[in-house]
Amino acid sequence: MNKRRFVYLDNAATTPVDTAVFKKMQPYFFEQYGNPSTIYNLGIKAKQAIENARNQIANFLKCSSNEIYFTGSASESDNWIIYGLLSNKKKKIHIITSVIEHKAILEPCKNLEEEGIAEITYLPINESGLIEINSLEKAIKKNTLLVSIMYANSEIGTVQPIEEMGALIKRINSKRKEKIIFHTDAVQAVNYLNCDVQNLGVDSLSLSGHKIYGPKGIGALYIRSGISINPLIHGGGQEKGMRSGTENVPGIVGLGEAVKKVQSSKSKVQKIKVLRNKLITGILKDIPDSQFNGSLEKRLPNNAHISFKGAEGESIVIELSQKDIFVSTGSACASKSLSPSHVLTSLGLSHEESHCSVRFTLGRQTKDEDIKYVLKVLPGIIKRLRKISGR
Amino acid sequence: MYSKKVIQHFQNPRNMGKMKNPDAMGEVGNPTCLLPDEKIFLDPEFTVIKNTGKKNLIFSHDASKNKIINKSSRDYNGKIIEIKNALGKISLTPEHLIYALKLPNHSKYFRTKHKQKLIPAWYHAKHLEQRDIVLYPILKKIKDIKYIKIDIPKKKFDFKSIDIPKKIQLNSELLRLFGYFLSEGNIQDKPCKTYISFSLNIKEKDIVKDIKKISKKLFGLDVKIKEVPKNKVVIVFLYNARLARFFKQLFGNGAEYKKIPNFIMTLPLDKQKSLIEGLWKGDGCINLNRIGPRAGYVTISYHLAQQIKLLLIRQKIVLSMYEEKEKKVNGVNHKKAYRIHVGHRDSLKILCKILGIKYSSKGSYKSITSWFDNDFLYTPITKIERKDYKGKVYNLEVEDKHSFLSEAFALHNCGDIMRLYLKIKDDKIIDISFETMGCVAAISTSSMITEMAKGKTLAQALKISYNDVANELGKLPPVKVHCADLAVKALQKAIKNYGSSKTKTH
Repeated sequence: MNKRRFVYLDNAATTPVDTAVFKKMQPYFFEQYGNPSTIYNLGIKAKQAIENARNQIANFLKCSSNEIYFTGSASESDNWIIYGLLSNKKKKIHIITSVIEHKAILEPCKNLEEEGIAEITYLPINESGLIEINSLEKAIKKNTLLVSIMYANSEIGTVQPIEEMGALIKRINSKRKEKIIFHTDAVQAVNYLNCDVQNLGVDSLSLSGHKIYGPKGIGALYIRSGISINPLIHGGGQEKGMRSGTENVPGIVGLGEAVKKVQSSKSKVQKIKVLRNKLITGILKDIPDSQFNGSLEKRLPNNAHISFKGAEGESIVIELSQKDIFVSTGSACASKSLSPSHVLTSLGLSHEESHCSVRFTLGRQTKDEDIKYVLKVLPGIIKRLRKISGR
Repeated sequence: MYSKKVIQHFQNPRNMGKMKNPDAMGEVGNPTCLLPDEKIFLDPEFTVIKNTGKKNLIFSHDASKNKIINKSSRDYNGKIIEIKNALGKISLTPEHLIYALKLPNHSKYFRTKHKQKLIPAWYHAKHLEQRDIVLYPILKKIKDIKYIKIDIPKKKFDFKSIDIPKKIQLNSELLRLFGYFLSEGNIQDKPCKTYISFSLNIKEKDIVKDIKKISKKLFGLDVKIKEVPKNKVVIVFLYNARLARFFKQLFGNGAEYKKIPNFIMTLPLDKQKSLIEGLWKGDGCINLNRIGPRAGYVTISYHLAQQIKLLLIRQKIVLSMYEEKEKKVNGVNHKKAYRIHVGHRDSLKILCKILGIKYSSKGSYKSITSWFDNDFLYTPITKIERKDYKGKVYNLEVEDKHSFLSEAFALHNCGDIMRLYLKIKDDKIIDISFETMGCVAAISTSSMITEMAKGKTLAQALKISYNDVANELGKLPPVKVHCADLAVKALQKAIKNYGSSKTKTH
């Protein structure tokens, strides 16, 4: 029986595991399954695999391997940097972040704010979806402990000027006794952007396996050496006592391989960008009253975010899903809370525009015929929904 | 997430679409509004929104004419936004949608070709900023008329007027004469003293000659010319009561109320050029020698100014409108006036061609912030102000296109998301249909409620609860139950509307 063909355009949600990556992981399920904390051969092999992966990631981030810690997810990494820094402090601290961060940053911040432990500044974005660098400069206070800015946004794919921010913070830090720590959530960025931490000037960075054609359930946190951070999870003392719990060896191996593969797949980025642009121009040309959201230049090459007037996002997603095309929406109707995506409202999109928005995120596996198929199917769907809405 | 039945109704909605001549309609959503005195473009002229009525025809954002289905007003207390551009100024609630282009935020954008690639969309007033571009449709409808009838009977005791033709050719000469009249003409309509006069500057010999020639040729009338050198004026008289009354009928009475008749607004562009020529030679000016050459036109008639605006836009001439307040100059009272300026190079070239003047200028500039395509004039927002307002606000509901045209830009009507249409006979719902802008659940609950309500009496239909709708669909996810509630509310509203319209008619 033929496998049913489908078009997956939700690579910002998750990606398929690369077969080469999976092949590297496989032995650690069946053959090299030893616990890395043991001292016999089988365990040592596993331990070596972990260190190999750590090197691969360090190599990618241009840092030392002892600055890399494996975690269960990027969400854990994000939580860790916030709560881990916190426990050292007695006075009320100040954290600067942005309105379009991932929930893994926003929720801990909100929590700290409610508990009265920290004061939080949420930097706004302009209509291109970018944070103005001088708004960051203005926000910095005496007691600012952490600045956490997402490298690339998961929803609209806009890329923040992390390098400039890093340089700014470095300059400010040179005159301060209490140094500000600069963290970036690079989950969406790893695939496409330069993540050289020296270049970016970040002190910590989180990344995740399943967004980069690696496995789910594995993440990592880079912490510049010299920065003291407390562990969140105590126990067997794995990861130099910083993150207890038996290591997810196949996951770690997969993450290492996936990161390595990103470096060797740079050539595919241009292809993805060409397809993405084809999708955007095709939609704007063929579907009247469609609107492209956010900056086109300062954007991940795989992300297209479009609003279709008079057609609601969830309806579009379900319709496309019936045609085996998988995309996502920021519509309130598709969220659990029935409020539109905080990223889209911050971008200045009206309730209706976010209501009508669809996110397409391409991936390595996206083919020209996939885009053609979407462009063939989508106009009819929008037309039908507009007919129902009478607009 | 959704039950099979929900998806079924979503993919294959029953009773979908607008209903012709429904007995009642119910809608739910969020209305957004305009201040009562904002003028909107009813056919044939701009009228304040509070005076519009159902069934009036209105121009929509794509220059099509559509019927007003409903006018609503509500009390409002909060912020309003006043948006100004070269064409006019409108105050509205922040949520109102405007047809516009949002510009990326860098200053050189105008100089690039990319601006032509931006896709226009409906933006909330509150999200627009100075520099963003609003669109004004070119009213492209053309209906040529070869002849017009002068259907003014000769008065019983009018022995003086010579007979003029009953039907005359609507040619460029006549249109030029119309233009002169709109600018400089006057009607005296008293018993035994009914005539047309043109007051011209003593230097405007060419116009005097032209009027004389046209009058003779078209009406067989000789003009009387009276020069008043003291006032630097020359007055041209056309003594003919029928013609005078005909002109009054066409163009209105008094300089403040002058307007261009509808049939002229849709004439072919070439003929309209002759009208513009007459208008401009009369009250207009053009100065190509100044730095930043400019052409201008002044009138004290609001309607005439607005109509000239529309005519110039048809000719693809970029213009800006100014209002001059009443003032006293050298002891002479000047009434409130409307000024039209043309200053962009390409636009001036077109105007010069119409006026038969050779265009030559060094200091002109090409317009980069305003431009035309086939369907629209694109002009930037020049000013945005936020103000507090307490009072009534109005909105319209427009059939089909759901938009209407104001002085300055096109506006969308209310933001309702679900509409139910009913046909009722003997208190029974005999037909029902819906229009819904919403998610899978909103569409399928709309579809379901139409199925459930069809055939029921009004009393029975009022009893349908959201639980009934949800149960009928199998199951709705908890967060989607409100969609069923929305459908129920729309039905109840429609039935209520039916009740109140019935008590009114009986």
